[in-house]
Amino acid sequence: MLFGRSKKNPIKIADKKVIEWKYATCGYCSTGCSIEVGFDEQGKAVSSRGVADADVNRGKLCLKGIFEHELFTSSGRGLAPLQRDNWHQSWEKISWDTALDRVHDGIKTVQDKYGRDSFAVISTGQMLTEEFYTLGKLTRGLIGTNNYDGNTTLCMASAVSGYKRSFGSDGPPGCYEDFEYTDCLIAWGSNLPEQHPIIYWRFKEAQEKRKFPLIVVDPRVTMLAQNADIHLPITPGTDVVLQNALMHVIFKENLQDNDYIKANTNGLDELMAEVEKYDPITASKICGIDEDTIRSVARLYAGAGAAMSIWTMGINQSTHGSDGVVGINNLALITGNIGKPGGTSLSITGQCNAMGTREWSSCSGLPNHRLLENEQDRKDIAEFWNIDEEFLPKKRGMFQTDIYHAIEAGHIKGLWLIATNPLSSLPNSERVRRAMQKLEFCVVQDCYEDSESNQYAHVYLPAGTWAEKEGVMTNTERRINLINAIIQPPGEAKPDLWIFNQMAKRFNSKDEGKGKVNFPDKAADIFLEMGTLSKGRLADISGMNHELLEKNRGIQWPYTEQQVAAGEAPPSGEKRLYTEPTTFRYADGKAKLIPLPFIDNNEVPDEKFPIWLNTGRLIEHWHGRTKTGKIGNNNKYSPIPFIEINPDLAFELGIKRGDYVRLVSRRSDAVVMATPTHRVPKNMVFLPFHFHDCANRLTLGLLDPHSRQPAYKQSAIRIECLDDQKAAALLSKEMRNF
Amino acid sequence: MFARRDNEPDYAILRNREALAENDTTNCYGTSIETVQSDNPLRDQSLNINEEGEVGDNPDRYKQHGFYFNADNCIACHACEAACSEKNDNPAHIAFRSVGFVEGGTYPAYQRLNISMACNHCDDPVCLKGCPTRAYTKFAEYGAVLQDPDICFGCGYCTWVCPYNAPQLDPEKGQVTKCNMCVDRLEVGLKPACTSACLGNALDFGVIEDIPENRSQAKVDIPGFPRTDITHPNIRFQQTRTTQREMTRVDQTAIKYHRSDEPLDSCNSKTYEESSFVPELDPKQGFKREWNLKKLLTSHENAHIAFTISAQLVMGAFIWLFLGSFFGDTLSLNYLSSSSAYLPGLVLLLGLITTGLYKLNMHLGKPQRFYRGFYNLRHSPVSREIAGVSLFFAGLVLFTLSAFFENSFFSAIQFIAGLIALVGLIFGGYFMYKLYRIEARPFWNHINTATSFIATGLVLGSLFVAVLNSVMGVMPSILNNLLLIAVSTGLVLEIAGLWAHRQSLKSAKSEGAASFYEQTTTYGYAYILRNALLILSLIMSISLLLTEHQSLSAYLVLSGLCLVSAIIGRALFYVVVIPTTMPGGFFWRNKGFVEHARETGLADMPQMGVVYEKHHAFKLDELIETIKTTSMNEKIDQFKRIFSG
Repeated sequence: MLFGRSKKNPIKIADKKVIEWKYATCGYCSTGCSIEVGFDEQGKAVSSRGVADADVNRGKLCLKGIFEHELFTSSGRGLAPLQRDNWHQSWEKISWDTALDRVHDGIKTVQDKYGRDSFAVISTGQMLTEEFYTLGKLTRGLIGTNNYDGNTTLCMASAVSGYKRSFGSDGPPGCYEDFEYTDCLIAWGSNLPEQHPIIYWRFKEAQEKRKFPLIVVDPRVTMLAQNADIHLPITPGTDVVLQNALMHVIFKENLQDNDYIKANTNGLDELMAEVEKYDPITASKICGIDEDTIRSVARLYAGAGAAMSIWTMGINQSTHGSDGVVGINNLALITGNIGKPGGTSLSITGQCNAMGTREWSSCSGLPNHRLLENEQDRKDIAEFWNIDEEFLPKKRGMFQTDIYHAIEAGHIKGLWLIATNPLSSLPNSERVRRAMQKLEFCVVQDCYEDSESNQYAHVYLPAGTWAEKEGVMTNTERRINLINAIIQPPGEAKPDLWIFNQMAKRFNSKDEGKGKVNFPDKAADIFLEMGTLSKGRLADISGMNHELLEKNRGIQWPYTEQQVAAGEAPPSGEKRLYTEPTTFRYADGKAKLIPLPFIDNNEVPDEKFPIWLNTGRLIEHWHGRTKTGKIGNNNKYSPIPFIEINPDLAFELGIKRGDYVRLVSRRSDAVVMATPTHRVPKNMVFLPFHFHDCANRLTLGLLDPHSRQPAYKQSAIRIECLDDQKAAALLSKEMRNF
Repeated sequence: MFARRDNEPDYAILRNREALAENDTTNCYGTSIETVQSDNPLRDQSLNINEEGEVGDNPDRYKQHGFYFNADNCIACHACEAACSEKNDNPAHIAFRSVGFVEGGTYPAYQRLNISMACNHCDDPVCLKGCPTRAYTKFAEYGAVLQDPDICFGCGYCTWVCPYNAPQLDPEKGQVTKCNMCVDRLEVGLKPACTSACLGNALDFGVIEDIPENRSQAKVDIPGFPRTDITHPNIRFQQTRTTQREMTRVDQTAIKYHRSDEPLDSCNSKTYEESSFVPELDPKQGFKREWNLKKLLTSHENAHIAFTISAQLVMGAFIWLFLGSFFGDTLSLNYLSSSSAYLPGLVLLLGLITTGLYKLNMHLGKPQRFYRGFYNLRHSPVSREIAGVSLFFAGLVLFTLSAFFENSFFSAIQFIAGLIALVGLIFGGYFMYKLYRIEARPFWNHINTATSFIATGLVLGSLFVAVLNSVMGVMPSILNNLLLIAVSTGLVLEIAGLWAHRQSLKSAKSEGAASFYEQTTTYGYAYILRNALLILSLIMSISLLLTEHQSLSAYLVLSGLCLVSAIIGRALFYVVVIPTTMPGGFFWRNKGFVEHARETGLADMPQMGVVYEKHHAFKLDELIETIKTTSMNEKIDQFKRIFSG
């Protein structure tokens, strides 16, 4: 064997000289991976690794988590508060005191002039739960606007709505451990390996130990679809039809779990009457899945000892999003697949703390799944916060999507955007842009100054990001994870909690006639306050505290003070909801079986716009790319927007690999690069939504009637070839600095 | 030592090989898995990682290790690449490991196959053999092939010869780096960072041929993977799902892989046709013919064009002048050395080759380390080329100097110098050709490389002499005829070589077919122009010979034609070569996108993962510092090791 050098030099391997690892939870998706960031002697964050003994990720991280330490030094961070009178003027640097006063006065001015609800607050799924809770207290208890919502309306509203309709409360009933027990898994519009890589790994680990069938419902041949035992390439927006047809077969062939249905559900007759209309032959004409496959999937699912469904945006982001979730729940309920190991309906959540905002932000109601519509809930919270009960509205206000329509209509004049970027993330960007230009007072609070929505702000408040702040987040399996403040925010940027508390002081002052609402400074204390509020409720967290959360690498709710008193250690995983009979959250403890008539209101391809536009996520990017677009080792895998286009269509249109093309919808256009692939059918293109001034210039985003979530995934476009490729390349480049 | 945690998860811990059968001691190529026997002095030494002297206690330390890749499971999540770049602190444009993919089928029966690959730590590392500076070592420990960027002078030859694109030439730093097998982790019983990070349970690592639990295959055959006889790579694959008949690359490379229906012994494949997945042309961009002259003539390989053409010209002309000096009478060439063109000619030649050598040296990532080019005379054709050309250069200098003096002593000196130069010419010339006979670069790996190099010497060398002698007005018809015969012969040789090249490429089952496709489409008009110029030159040369026409203007026109055709031809030679690398992605590891990003300025953004090619200054201070800090003994030892290894 040839070894080369007889005299060997020392081997040099990069050594980042980490002297301390600090604990946090990953701030990207909702998986909730425990992460440790390594710091060198100079106190610089130089490395990230998965925490080996964390039940969720067991030492693993995806490529975004692996480079998460680079976030702290990424470009575009806001370093000082800024203000200006008009959005077309240049920014002026100001002190925090001036900025906070200006925001307080701005809100007051708008509210005094146009009424309390004319000022809207739009929050996020990106902050920490204590921050959500504090913001909720500030908004509901002191500012007093009912137009307060989060960007979770864009991703999880349909899941929330569907859970509420079926089970009487929000809250995903399953856990990751269910993969270890299931005998059949259906993934509805979920590209797990790309969207939630670590959950995918947990699934893969389970499947390698014990082979069970995987069924994937997705119009695109994703990696998960390709590796599925059965792939159902469904016609976009027709999931409800497929669900009804599956139930039709189950009832026809008497495969349902009659005992479970009888004991735990209401509404069977109405459901059976509706699904009777969806025989597989009729359904196959609508949803594009042949009758044979519908029957075999129904038998496989209903015949499995334990069967589970997971889903993501393929279901939620549709005009039938909430119905799709109910349909999945219906399937689970009629086969007795809720609350048992391997049998569940598990919404795979989007943002890192979408669950936290659902539980504690008071956006859609009051803390811990309390409802504004419920008199007792209003009374309890008003008493607890020490505010006037009548100050709270009796009905939830507008969703984020409707708030923008209200800005357009002139009903809402002021807006506070917190850690969200609607100019990129809402459908029909041009409409959003026009609306934002109309705002009389707009505050943007974000860790990034270069967030596109900041173009139309009058005040910019620089916030800390991720582990520059302390607090908790809840993951997909209802596990509460701790993030430590492991590094200071850059410049004068401050943790969101600090900003809310400073703002609260201004609204809480004696002049406002209240001055008695308590706002603790420390996240750990706020968490204990939340614990008190959670006692006896579904999401009971009264047994937890920050210290315990870090020690256990997260704890699934519920974990109660009674369990602590009884000496019961927190479960490491495996915690499910509705495991006992008739424990659903409706008054009688029974879940509802809800019939789902199908109304086809999608913008379907026609002669003028003959191509489906399907949008979705790439593993290397996070949402609007303000984070990952600046980290080379993430961004390089897809640095510019592109479409997947069927090679046969590309050939017909004369489009070659790597050509720029112009996509045109009834709203506007977008310039993207084409990559021909048979991942998509001939009448569809796939376009990642991450890029600013791109996908959402095209999307229509009809709203789901229940959840008000936009249907991002079903729009129609046409494709125009571009003769001047060079100009197109420069235009595409000009539209993004990252 | 790598800081191992107390609670490392099982998947990150290396399997122990002891459980395997004892007779299982050779790998699939028949080589011993044990790198050195137990009594070998290479045993029980420290790897000196970052100068720490500890010796790892891994019981399998002296067994060849390798990656195991289960293509059935890879989801292209890039976690392996990210973990690798995080651990090795690599900027976005450098990656020791990359995931590429091939795809096939028709919706929805579509299939994408992802392939994650780093260095294969080959049994027969061509990088180690090729590197002129001896920056590579194959360690007895784990059989790891490691490269030391502090030795490297950034010529990039290892990146040419490696069939897997493992060594990475950094245009910013001007040096090569590569996968180090995470030997620091191996020393403490942990699998490499990439393997431990895998989210699809696709990547594994261990003693070679040790099939992980739950896996059934250990083949060396997967669509896009080059044939194994070049280097005997230490990687094993599982890929049990039937692929589509045709799997296409998604990057710009015009290649697809055609499934062969007969199962083959992939360990012993010698040709592409023997592979289970035969590379074929995939004309992605159609057959539109283009000029792209700017792209052709402004590539980073221009230094090679300048060097090879100038060196070959000078060598060709030198032969005439040497023969004229000493065999003038017998060969009726005495006009050459006795004419007024002789001395200016020699000086001009010296100037030309100096320029070529300068261009070549300044093309290095670290030009001040030029002297390391000789270090690997034992194995590297590059070292031998450099040695040969240097010898030729030295001989030519002496030859030229002594030509200024007219006495028998200097005449003798000049004769010896001429012989030295001739030896250098033959040796250097041969290895100048040999170094391009790279298995991983099918476009070059053809006799055409030799015919083209010889032809350039014959044609341009002869025309140089002809023009010079014409200018000086000393061109007897016998010399005229001889020169024109040489030019015509050279042109015929060039044309014949190109014809044979074309014939072999057109039907090639290799990346050569894609190179030919590029040559005839992207650079189609330049290709036609070159061919036309060659034929025109031949017609002119033969016409001049037959009509015994003799004029400076005719020579100038002919030289112009030949020089332009030589430059275009050589530019094509460097620009359209396509290595047998693993398939890339649509953006990352796609040469097409890299070029696009550089052309449009997208590469200005560091997070694009694309940087510009650049030239590096000659750091004289570093050279002086090295000379100062290296003791005479070390210098002598270093010199000895050129021969001892």
